[in-house]
Amino acid sequence: MPYYQTWEEFARAAEKLYLTDPMKVRVVLKYRHCDGNLCLKVTDDAVCLQYKTDQAQDVKKIEKLHGKLMRLMVSKESHSGAMETD
Amino acid sequence: MVLLENDAFLTELTRLFQKCRTTGSVVITLKKYDGRTKPVPRKGHPETHEAADNKCLVRASDGKSKISTVVTSKEVIKFQMAYSNLLRAHMDGLKKKDKKSKGKKTKAT
Repeated sequence: MPYYQTWEEFARAAEKLYLTDPMKVRVVLKYRHCDGNLCLKVTDDAVCLQYKTDQAQDVKKIEKLHGKLMRLMVSKESHSGAMETD
Repeated sequence: MVLLENDAFLTELTRLFQKCRTTGSVVITLKKYDGRTKPVPRKGHPETHEAADNKCLVRASDGKSKISTVVTSKEVIKFQMAYSNLLRAHMDGLKKKDKKSKGKKTKAT
């Protein structure tokens, strides 16, 4: 699967994929310090979404989405109301 | 795979990040976890497992050792604050705004 070019598209697609079947989806964050890159992957083993960056300003966004998905996972029901991205 | 408490997990994760500063990568996986430790029963077999719908499994690995923890809805706020800080503190090897440093790694402050 190709990498997403824009963060907005990726974030939207990732959340949508998560909400289709929360039990199946895993979110993988890979950080390589020596090469200075960071990759976020969201997959349900059928669809795979990836976003890769080497920009420090993206850390915040990635970490934010990461945290948002974590909160969704622990919340009892996944409601799409809280899914607005800024 | 070592299942750790939240706090112990964060400590180990810090160690993992430090270990991978010169070479290797850190991989963190999030997955929704319902507490199931046995496979889903086949058709005709009664479902004995009660799904607790509000947990999150966090795994981390450097390719060699693996650690994991389960975050529940009670602990999520506390865990997440510490976790976010940890991530931001350690993911500092990336490029600053590409105006100045094109293709070159800048030192993090």
